Formats: sequence, structure tokens, C-alpha cells
Amino acid sequence: MYGGDEVSAIVLDLGSHSCKAGYAGEDAPKAVLPSWVGSIDAQYLPPEPEQPTKMAIDGENNAVADSKTGKSADAAAKKPTRKLYTGVQAMGYRRDYMEVIPALKDGLINDWEVVESIWDHTLKDRLMIDPKEHPMLLAEPSFNTAQHREKVVELMFEKYQIPALFLAKNAVLTSFASGRATSLVVDCGGGSTTVAAVHDGYVLQKAIVRSPIGGEFLTDCMLKTLESRGITMRPRYSFKRKEIRPGEFELQVLDFPNTTESYKLYMQRAVAADVKESVCRVPDVLFEESAYANIPTTPYELPDGQTIEVGADRFKIPDLMFNPSLVQTVPGMEKFAETGSSVRGLPQMVIESINKCDVDIRRELFSSILLAGGTAAMQQIKERLEKDLIEEAPQAARVKVLASGNAIERRFSVWIGGSILASLGSFQQMWLSKSEYEEHGASYVHRKCP
Amino acid sequence: MADAKDILGLPKVAVGSGGDKRRSSKTAAEKKPDGVSREVYALIGGLPPVMPALDQSSLKKKKAADSAKKVAWKWRVFTSSARADNLQLSHWERVVDGVEPSGDYAFAKYNKAVDVVRYTEEEYAKYLNNSSWSKEETDQLFDFCEQFDLRFIIIADRMPTSRTVEELKERYYSAARAIVLSRTGPAEDVTDHPLVKETYSIQYETERKKALGVLLSQSRQKEREDAEILAEAKRITEARLATKKAEEAELLSKSATATTTTTEATNKSPTTPARPPSPAQTAQAGPSIAVTVPSAPVVSGSKTGTSPAAFGPRPPRVYLRSAYLGQVVQVSTTQAGVRATKRVEQLLEEHGCRPKVKCPTKRVCEEHMELRRELLALLQLEKQVTWKENEVSVLRENPYADLSTPSTPKRAHRGSDHERVLTRATAVGAETDSFSGERVGKRDHKRKAPARFSEAPPSPHQKRSRKMKASDM
Repeated sequence: MYGGDEVSAIVLDLGSHSCKAGYAGEDAPKAVLPSWVGSIDAQYLPPEPEQPTKMAIDGENNAVADSKTGKSADAAAKKPTRKLYTGVQAMGYRRDYMEVIPALKDGLINDWEVVESIWDHTLKDRLMIDPKEHPMLLAEPSFNTAQHREKVVELMFEKYQIPALFLAKNAVLTSFASGRATSLVVDCGGGSTTVAAVHDGYVLQKAIVRSPIGGEFLTDCMLKTLESRGITMRPRYSFKRKEIRPGEFELQVLDFPNTTESYKLYMQRAVAADVKESVCRVPDVLFEESAYANIPTTPYELPDGQTIEVGADRFKIPDLMFNPSLVQTVPGMEKFAETGSSVRGLPQMVIESINKCDVDIRRELFSSILLAGGTAAMQQIKERLEKDLIEEAPQAARVKVLASGNAIERRFSVWIGGSILASLGSFQQMWLSKSEYEEHGASYVHRKCP
Repeated sequence: MADAKDILGLPKVAVGSGGDKRRSSKTAAEKKPDGVSREVYALIGGLPPVMPALDQSSLKKKKAADSAKKVAWKWRVFTSSARADNLQLSHWERVVDGVEPSGDYAFAKYNKAVDVVRYTEEEYAKYLNNSSWSKEETDQLFDFCEQFDLRFIIIADRMPTSRTVEELKERYYSAARAIVLSRTGPAEDVTDHPLVKETYSIQYETERKKALGVLLSQSRQKEREDAEILAEAKRITEARLATKKAEEAELLSKSATATTTTTEATNKSPTTPARPPSPAQTAQAGPSIAVTVPSAPVVSGSKTGTSPAAFGPRPPRVYLRSAYLGQVVQVSTTQAGVRATKRVEQLLEEHGCRPKVKCPTKRVCEEHMELRRELLALLQLEKQVTWKENEVSVLRENPYADLSTPSTPKRAHRGSDHERVLTRATAVGAETDSFSGERVGKRDHKRKAPARFSEAPPSPHQKRSRKMKASDM
């Protein structure tokens, strides 16, 4: 590579749906895990016998942590208030009284303990590295606040003792992943959709437009719709299928009364998300009930064996992104009706964001609109967005929506951008090193990582 | 040949020639062994070819030079001169012969920055004081300029105070220019410095951005609607233009007849109803015909100062006055009738004026047109006068006669009536005097005209007769 110089940096991207981590220079993250943790409150934990020696060892060496328990940095002296279970395996196993806590709320970090637990698990158990040896590139939301940034810097340097750090904005990394310094990034993520303009490698913060409609919102709509049609969404732990005859299965429903609601919902959402990803398609024009009344249905087999037929809902659910007022027609989602009226569709958000930018760069932004995020991997979304934008955009501007053909690349485009950035030779002078942090303090990050 | 014989089943060795064959076959170095076909034997390198196929010297020789160098890859720590601190990162480096690469980090040379002009406190106090910019703001602006390499769009985005890009640029460029100029010594010539050479024009930039914003703000739907509206508007204006032209043409003919209407600006109102009342007016003022005749030249005189655009067809922007004059004459011809125009031209010629104007200057043209108009008016008045006289004579003979029936008055009467009219008319203005003599002589030519005139529209005639009767009573 002519411009590349690998220093074995680690790229870490904590999103609202999943956390991606891996080595810089690679083309896909090695570790992908959900951004939720299971937590059991202390009162439900079995009483632990007193082990002072073990506690002391745990207290000294913060790098050692059990994969099942994540204690906060200075918890050596006191008993943990709750036990956190991180990772795909830990979360997939049903436990009594286990609540599911998200790491991010409204796109920003909410619970620092949960975030630490996730990072611990990722770095030590999944990537199996020693953070002291690797500079870290962290991806942060484009609208991140100054306090959050400083807290992250502090946490990284104090707890993990990394040699160098850099905080890059999601939109900038997506832009770099497609090889552009100026573009308009439409990030359709799990928790929300963000439209941000990047100019010359910097995000224009006054032109960021956000909408709460994301992949999880669509999954919720799908879940409610299927339930309203009388289909029971059984989470995977609640049944067992026994093969009584070759090819035929019998369903045995199991009952776990101590399962928390949040866990049940989490598992149901997992099933609904799979339905959504396999069956849904973005319609070519605005969705109307009458137009899609006679459409042939697509079959889908749920994990418990029942086969469902999905008809017009295939097109209705994705059209929520373009026409949020449709949420009123989804049964069970009435509480979102007020927010639905104030939220604009995707093409309007794009136009709004571009109009907030300086006039000189608008043309360039129109001709390089990038799609990123897991929800952007839905079929036909690129064509529909382009069609809608050409209608709404001024005639003088040429509209072009770009998205990589690969669904994996769209999902991980932020991580891939980080991988590219951290392996560039001319980037190596931009790290925020430990010595700089110790000299100037955490607020130096605003200077170094604009 | 042996094969062919084989195929044919002939004996291989001919009797008598067997000895030659044996010899020739034995002279061959090797003989193909039995049980193996010839081709297979050749494949495994049996009978050697005559010429070797491959030149051994052209094959690859092991490069002896490579073995002299020993290349290894080593995980080494490095520093970069582009960094202010001494952060040590490690990467793989190619080590040749145990000699490790030295020198600065290869990518450090790409660390370029824009040299932003920085000022000191005194310089600020001396040159850069500005009412709308505080010192802190200016300081922050210059800091950002250095941090963001003069990317003003991003600087405008990050500035805590909301300033437009143009304002920031203007402040920076004017301040930097002032500093550069103040720092140059008397010996230096700094006119080539880009800051000094080009000045930033905030006015132009603001206008340009506004125009670009307007251009980019219209969506395609709106533009389609706009195009439709414009097409519609164009159609409407063209229709209006056509009606306006028609009105103006009528206006020209209306001014040729003696009217007491006001200025041409108000002549937009339909002119056709104006015409019948005007002859009616002249008819009513029977005894005051003398009054109307002087008023006609007065009215026509007031119209000399009008612009040609009010009369006749709309002229193009640049035009030849002679051609335009021809057009105007044409219009008046069509309105008044060919015969009347010919009469006018005859009169002109008799009096030494050319019907076609020699030097068509503005004044001359105006005078000419006025003359024509007056002549036409005169002719029409004459007609009316004779008509009235006819009526009078008819009524005199037979007071209860029905004037609606057209009756041709006797010639003798006409002649005497004309004489009487003439005597009355001679009391009036100068122009009529000059014409009186010729008119008598020309009576013979014009016999047709009054007769025809009496045949002409009976209904106004009827109206006039009724009015006369009423006034008589």
C-alpha cells in the first residue's frame, strides 16, 4: 500500500444496535456484538461466599475480568450492585430476573458501566489483546457532546492505559470509506437516522438532521403488526421442538415465570428483526393501502415452526422511513402518532440538511449522497431515495445516491472507514497520545480531534 | 510405405528388393521396438529429433546477485517529526542486510500547513480595530483559521457567534492585508503577495450567493409549474397586444374625423360609438357649423404634438421615417376610403404640394399628416354640407316631404343652394376662402358624390331629420 502504514491500531465502533471492533487495515470487523447487556440486580444474585484474596487480586489487576461478571473499576472494595452479562453467548442464555439494558440512549452513551462492560468483553474476550500496546480509533456519533467526549477519553486512558487515541465522527468515517472528502451521509442506523454533511473531512454540525425512526423502530412496528394479526411471536427460549417422526416436529411450550419483560421483548424483537430483514422491501412509490391490497404474500417460517404469510406489510413497514405519518395506521403504535407527525421523511431530511449548508457546496453534496447503516441494507432503498430526491431537488443540481452493493459493507461502513483512516501513513501524526493527555488534560481532545 | 502395404495386405519385403530394404532399415540408429507404436515411442523420447527444440542457454539462471542481500522484516518502534510529543508507535520495517532504515518517518513530509498571518497586540491596537469585531472574536477567528487551514465554511460552522462565511472572510482578508502592508519595509515590494494583489469584495460575494441560492431553491415540481405559468402569461400578453394594435388602428381613423374627444390616452375606449355621435353633433349644430369648422382645426392642431405611436401601427424601435410615413398614410387611406384619399392628393398637387414628401423629417411628417387630416376633414364636411342643403331644399319645396326616401335633388336647385352655402361658408376661416373658387368649378365632377351621400345610411338621416323637426318646432 502506498499510503498505508499499519501500526496495529484497533478500531472500535459502538452503535445503538451493535458494537463493532477489529484491527485497522482489515476489511470487516472481527467482533460484532449487541449493544445491550443483561443485568441481574443484586437482590436476585445467589449470595457469594466472602473471598477477600480473590477480591484483592481483582482490585489490583483491572485487566483481568471474568467473562460473565463485569465490575466497575473501583468495585474491588464494595460488593457489586448488579451483575452484567455481555456478549452474544451470555445474552442468548435465559436467566431469571435478567433485565436488558441498552448502552446508548438517543444515540449518546447513557450508562457508563454498561459501556465499560461491553468494551472489556470486546477487547479481552473477543479480540484478546492488551490495550496497552495498541492505539485506538473510536467512532463517535456526529452530534456527540463535549462532556461525552471527555469522559470517553478519560475512561480510555485511565482504565485501559492505551498509548494513543483518536475520536472520529461517524459521518466522516463513512465518507472516507467511499473515498470522498465531501459528501452527505445518510446513516440509517438501529436507534435513529442521522443525515450529516461532511465537507473536506469535517462534519458541518449546524447541518445535522436527526429522526427517531431507525431499524429498531421498524422492528417494533413489524412485531406489533404481526401480533395484531393473531400470530404469537414465541421467543426462542419459550419452546422446544421434539422430533416425533422423521421430518415432523412437535412444539412444546416451556414456561419461565421469572423471565423479565425486557428480556422477553428483546428476544421477540430478535425474531421480528429477522422477519423484517428477509421479507421487507421498500416500495417504489408512496405506500397506499388500496394499491397493495391484492399483492401476493411471501411465506416465512418462524423458529417455532409456524409459517406466516406477509402481504402488504412487507412494503408498509419500510415506507415508514419515507412517510412517517403511516405510523398511525400501524396497530399498537398510537403513542408514536404525535411524534410521527412532526418527524419528516428521509427525502425531506436530506433537502433540509443540504439547505442548511453554505450555497457553494450544495451542488457537490447533492451529487454525492452516501447511504450507510444496517437499515440502509434494505432492498430498493437506494432507488426509492434517488427517485424521491430528484423530484424534490432543484433542477440545477444533479442528484446521485451512492451505496455499496454489498449489504455487509453498508452495515459496517463506519467501521471500514475507521479501518482505512487508522492505517494511513499520514494519519499517524494525528493521534492524541498519552503524554499529550497527561500534559493538557482531557479537554485537549477538542483541539486534536475536531 | 510399410503402413500402406500393411493396409493393402501386401508382403512387406518385395522379392528381389528385400536386400536393399534390410540394409536401409538396419542403417537407422534405433529401430522402433515391437509392441510400442511409433507415436508413443516418440512421446517418451525415443527416436531423437534431428534438431534440438530448446536452447538450454535461454533458460532461467539462478540470480546470484539476490543471494547476496538478506531481507528481513522487523517490528520496530518509530517516531515522526510531524508530532510535537515523542509518541512511539511500532510498525513493520524492511531490514536489508542487517542495516536498519534510518531517517525520519516517510510520511512526515506530507504534513503541510497554511501559513496564516498572526498579529501581535500592538499591531492589533494600531491597525485592526473594528467596531463590529471584538478582539476576542478576531483572535478566535485567527485560531480557527490556523486549525482548519482557512476552510471558511467549517470555521463558520464552528464559530460560537453566528457569522456568515462572507463576514469571516472579509475580516480575515482585510486584517491580514493590513498586517502584511504594515510589516513591509520601504525596500520591499509586496505587490505580488496574493493578499495584497486581490481584494475580497463582500458585496459581490453576497450577491453571488443570493443568486445561487435562488437558483438552487426551486424544486423540479415548482419549476414545471413556473414554466406553465410563463407560457400562459406569454399567450395572454400576445392576445392583449393584438387587441391593442386593433384599437390603435381605429384610433388613427377616429382622429382623422373631426371629433371633440379628449387626449389620445383616454382614446382607449371603443371608438366606433364615438363616430356616429360626432356627425350627429355636427348635424345638430346646424347654425353653428361655422363654429365647428374652426374648432376642427383647433382640435386637429392640438393633436400635432402627439407621438406617432398613438396613431397608426406600432412602429418598431428603429425605423425609417419615410417608411413609417408611408404606413401611416396607408392606414388613413384604408379608413377614409380610396376616393377620398385620391381627392386629397389631387388637392395637394393642385396647390403645389407633393403627395409624397421629399424630406421626411419629424416636423415635416407631422405637418404633412396634419394637412392630410385637415383635407379629409374638409372633404367630409363638404359632403355633409351638400347633403344638408339637399335636405333643406327638399323641405323647402315640400315641408311634409318624407326625407327618408332618397330623392335626387334637381341640378338647378343644387347649383343655387350651393351658391348660398358658399356665401355662408365664405364668412368662415382662411382655408375655406382659398378653396371657394375652385369648388364651384369642380361641382360638375362631384355630382355623384352628394347623390350617393343621400343614399347613404338612411337611419342616421332619419334621425337627423327628426331632430331637425323637433328643433324647428
